[in-house]
Amino acid sequence: MRTVSRSMTNQPRPGRLPRGMPGVKPQNMKGTLMRLWRMTKGSRRGLGWIFLLSGLASGSAILCPYLIGLVVNRIDGGNPVGQMIWLLAAVYLGDWMIRFMQQFHMAAVGQRMIYHIRTSLFAYMKKLPLGFFDARQHGELMSRLTNDVDNISTTISDSLTQLIMYAFIITGIFCVMVWLNILLTAVAMLSVVLIYLLTRAVTKRTRKLFREQQQILGELNGQVEESISGLTMVKAFCREEAMIEQFRANNDRFCEVAVKAQIWSGYLMPVTNVINNLNYVLIAIVSGLMAVAGSLHVGLISSFLLYSRQFSRPFVDIANIYNNFQTAVAGAERIFEILDEQTEPEDVPGALQLTRPKGAICFKNVTFGYLPGQKVLNNVNLSIPAGTRVAVAGATGAGKTTLINLLTRFYDVNDGAIYLDGHDLRRYRMKDLREAFGVVLQDTSLFGVTIRENISYGRGDLPLEKVREAARIAGADSFIQRLPQGYDTVLTQGGAELSQGERQLITIARAVLMDAPILILDEATSSVDTVTEQHIRKAMLKITEGRTSVIIAHRLSTIRDSDLIVLVEDGRIVESGNHQQLMKLNGRYAMMYRTQMGLL
Amino acid sequence: MKLMLTYIRRHPGMFLTALFFLSLETAADLLQPTMMSFIVDNGVKHQNTGKILEYGMIMLGITAMGALGAVMRNIYATRTSQQIGREMRLDIYRKIQTLSFENIDRLQPSSIITRITNDVTQIQNFINGSMRIMMKAPIICIGALILIIWQTPRLIPMLIIILFVSGLLIAGNMKLGYARFNRLQQRLDRLNQVSREFLSAIRVVKAFQAEKQEEEKFRDASMGLAEAGVSAMRVMAVFGPLINLTVNLGIVVLLRISETQPPGEIGKLMASVNYMTQVLFALGMVSFILNSAVRAVASSRRVAEVLEEVPAQVNQGSDYAIEGSITFRDVSFSYAKAARPAIENISFHVYAGETIGIIGPTGSGKSTLINLVPRFYDAAGGSILIDNTDVRQIDMKKLREQIAVVPQKALLFSGTVLENLRWGDEGASMEEVRKATDAACATGFIMALTDGYDTRLEQEGVNLSGGQKQRLSIARALLRKPKILILDDCTSALDAATEAEVLKRLRQEAGDMTVLLISQRISTVMRTDRILCLEDGRIQGMGTHKELLESCTAYQAIFDSQIGEEWSREPDSGIKEHAVRQIEIETDEKSDIGWTAGKTQSRKGRCGL
Repeated sequence: MRTVSRSMTNQPRPGRLPRGMPGVKPQNMKGTLMRLWRMTKGSRRGLGWIFLLSGLASGSAILCPYLIGLVVNRIDGGNPVGQMIWLLAAVYLGDWMIRFMQQFHMAAVGQRMIYHIRTSLFAYMKKLPLGFFDARQHGELMSRLTNDVDNISTTISDSLTQLIMYAFIITGIFCVMVWLNILLTAVAMLSVVLIYLLTRAVTKRTRKLFREQQQILGELNGQVEESISGLTMVKAFCREEAMIEQFRANNDRFCEVAVKAQIWSGYLMPVTNVINNLNYVLIAIVSGLMAVAGSLHVGLISSFLLYSRQFSRPFVDIANIYNNFQTAVAGAERIFEILDEQTEPEDVPGALQLTRPKGAICFKNVTFGYLPGQKVLNNVNLSIPAGTRVAVAGATGAGKTTLINLLTRFYDVNDGAIYLDGHDLRRYRMKDLREAFGVVLQDTSLFGVTIRENISYGRGDLPLEKVREAARIAGADSFIQRLPQGYDTVLTQGGAELSQGERQLITIARAVLMDAPILILDEATSSVDTVTEQHIRKAMLKITEGRTSVIIAHRLSTIRDSDLIVLVEDGRIVESGNHQQLMKLNGRYAMMYRTQMGLL
Repeated sequence: MKLMLTYIRRHPGMFLTALFFLSLETAADLLQPTMMSFIVDNGVKHQNTGKILEYGMIMLGITAMGALGAVMRNIYATRTSQQIGREMRLDIYRKIQTLSFENIDRLQPSSIITRITNDVTQIQNFINGSMRIMMKAPIICIGALILIIWQTPRLIPMLIIILFVSGLLIAGNMKLGYARFNRLQQRLDRLNQVSREFLSAIRVVKAFQAEKQEEEKFRDASMGLAEAGVSAMRVMAVFGPLINLTVNLGIVVLLRISETQPPGEIGKLMASVNYMTQVLFALGMVSFILNSAVRAVASSRRVAEVLEEVPAQVNQGSDYAIEGSITFRDVSFSYAKAARPAIENISFHVYAGETIGIIGPTGSGKSTLINLVPRFYDAAGGSILIDNTDVRQIDMKKLREQIAVVPQKALLFSGTVLENLRWGDEGASMEEVRKATDAACATGFIMALTDGYDTRLEQEGVNLSGGQKQRLSIARALLRKPKILILDDCTSALDAATEAEVLKRLRQEAGDMTVLLISQRISTVMRTDRILCLEDGRIQGMGTHKELLESCTAYQAIFDSQIGEEWSREPDSGIKEHAVRQIEIETDEKSDIGWTAGKTQSRKGRCGL
């Protein structure tokens, strides 16, 4: 099927710049984060609990070093530790309980959030128009649904709660430290400033690198997918080596970017650790000097050393968390990119209901192209009275499938309008409209479920008898019966174990079961043998009795019986009439017909 | 694990260098509390400012050393792990290329994709982590313990208890975590499969208003993944805090024991408490590392599964120049999952240069039959001979180089039109390419594309119509100048006029090629030298059009369905007389329309766009 070409996908879409371009303006970090926060709506209560527990956990983190300092003081003074030690043990026990509860709870909250974001992304994606899917690699979209969502959610659930906990710890410890000794607090603050500067310098570089890394990864996935689905040809043409070369090139490119991104982000942890050590040293020296001067008790040194570790460790982790944010924000931007896509047009206010339309279709001056400036259909006018069997014939690429794409509103016309029962298609509710059409498409899309479920696809659970009836009409019953599990045979995705013709029969049965007022068959029997096709045709004659049907077929034998045959050429309708009329006309249709009969 | 080690072993220098710098970094961490205790015990206690500054300077020096170690370690660890990831991806990809369809069917395409991406990343992160924290944790642990013992030997029993309890906890974590993370990975596979299915069936989903249903499916898969995630995380939630508690209680005991400490060694006590917190930190890391190790092991097992997959076919043949005759000797074949054989006891012979039409109802085994010739699959019973040599005796690459296949579903790749065509012959001149596209009636539409031959095709050529793809795929095959040309109903998406023209030109191009032509249409096969009529995987008849019309009931039925009926319907149209005459001419005299005769003739005709 025809789709939007590359030139279109390369154009910058509103709201974002092309990826990987040098000198790209920094992405909107704050805006992205705000949007992310809004996505956590459903999980906020759970998050609230976690925050509360985090607060409690930080309480013990603040308390313990102080208690230890007191104990050390007592020991230093030669006094018994007494009750103090039991208090410390109690605090530790409480700390354990809280941590356990917090982590246990967080597992559920975090996963629920992932689930929520992922399913809402999918729910949005399913509303996007066909053009969106046609213009993108599937592997790349899949990586957004899995990797990117994971990254985001881990960041929110794990990192955010850690962040909250650290906020408590930092303020708590800061207060205690100030209370204990201001000068030492100032020394401890030094490391914080250093860590902040470092983090800023690093993250500035990494965000772009991470984005680039994710993008190349998507491409890499795309190539893997392509080479697996096209493996037959790779083997037939002995292209294994060439494919490997190509993969190697992409892989190297990925590795290069990834190394850069990882090295830069990897600096955060160790260097902040070094800063920490530096801090430890400074506190040791300064407090030592102060103790000598007699302005400080030894127990306080102990508390301070523990505090300074605890105080700056959050900063190490914050740096690390910030680092994770890079990946997550880059992923979030890719997800929002999808969420910013235009969905299929909403129904107009007061959209018309459509229940079992009569099926009078009218194309009026319809012009359409998949790309701006391109005209696949050019001023098409066609009137199909209700209940007519219409056949569309014409060369490949003449625009036959496009007619269908417009009729089912997979795409909307650029100019002109299509009317169904006298009203513009766009005035109907989309749901009703799609329900009005039973469509059998050229591409057979089968799912990895049983044959029975494949046939009743979109219709829910139906009794086997109804499914069989449809299959019988479609001529699929006999081959299905011959399968060892019959209707319960589970297909692999795409139905690889069936022949193309068998797959087509199943998709026909699917449409038969739908029992829609208007039937559309786009090359539905191109791979079915002609004996079977004849059976189907006869059955179809019965089904289409009194219904409007549009058939696209190459085999003119399939469409001979149609009430109206339309010949499309270069996006225009060049001949129309029934078989006899067109044969008499002795024009392009007559020539095609004779070719097919083996007469030319 | 074994897999990871083999890859690490390929870069011993880099890996060891990273470890060296890591040790340097860790040593700096470890020495700080000891130096601090010197400050307290030697400086503060004795009111000696000079000593405090002296030890302070040493500490600064140590910090600088740690900084050097940290920076260098980061560079080496990252490079090593990325290098390993890169090699692993390439190896998997390379392996996939050697696998046969049987293997791919078994491994499932969507699962292969997650393995090459997610799993490798998982392993890569683990290896990187191992050079960052994983090695650091034991070093800190052991180092800190030694230093504590060195300063206060009385603590040995307590330390042993702490280690024993932590060890138990870590082992428990490991045991429970492994299965759960494994399941997590499987659920991820499932999610990928569901979304892949949705994306490739998007048209049907929309046409059948099945968005809800697909969403349900996706929800289920996401839910399954989330549940597996929760249960995996909860294992961590149980064990992590317990390890924490163990070490913290250690600190309490330490302080309690130290009550009776000689007062001059207060610095040592402080250092010990510091070391305990370092041990705690390290043990916390250990459980974290083990959890990611569990993941990495699961991943590496899945990667190893691909790397260890034994190609279902062996290639041990020799070079061989094909002349073109094909013999099937009592050949049977069934697909792995199917209950009934796809073809059964097939025997026939094709002379070099002959054109054979293959016709038969859907599912009669036509495609299976021809898939065996270039060895996409190997016959289960019987043998296939090319020029009296079993295909299994011919080097697979050489065999396939001399056979060109045009499949029913045209498979194209992202790249330019020209690049796709040159799959047939990489060194083909523009002139040759042009000739091939002419023969496939493709030149016209290619020139109409924005960049002609240099137009880029998206993945799988989605920006072309089915017919255009088929014609490109025909041109690609012709460019190969094969000895055997296999056309598997490859004109099904073409309209009749274009199809007729393509077939006519193919006849001219065929030269002395052996051609196997699968088609549904009588009009397509009736001009071949002989026709093989299949039904239910068995041969119903083989012979010329005329012979089959007389003797083969299956063939007659097909004929009636396509042409015969027409005769009775329009008796005056002259079609019947014309057709019969035509067929007689073709079969008896090999008119210019027949395949064989066509090879010497050339006629210009119209190509559809």
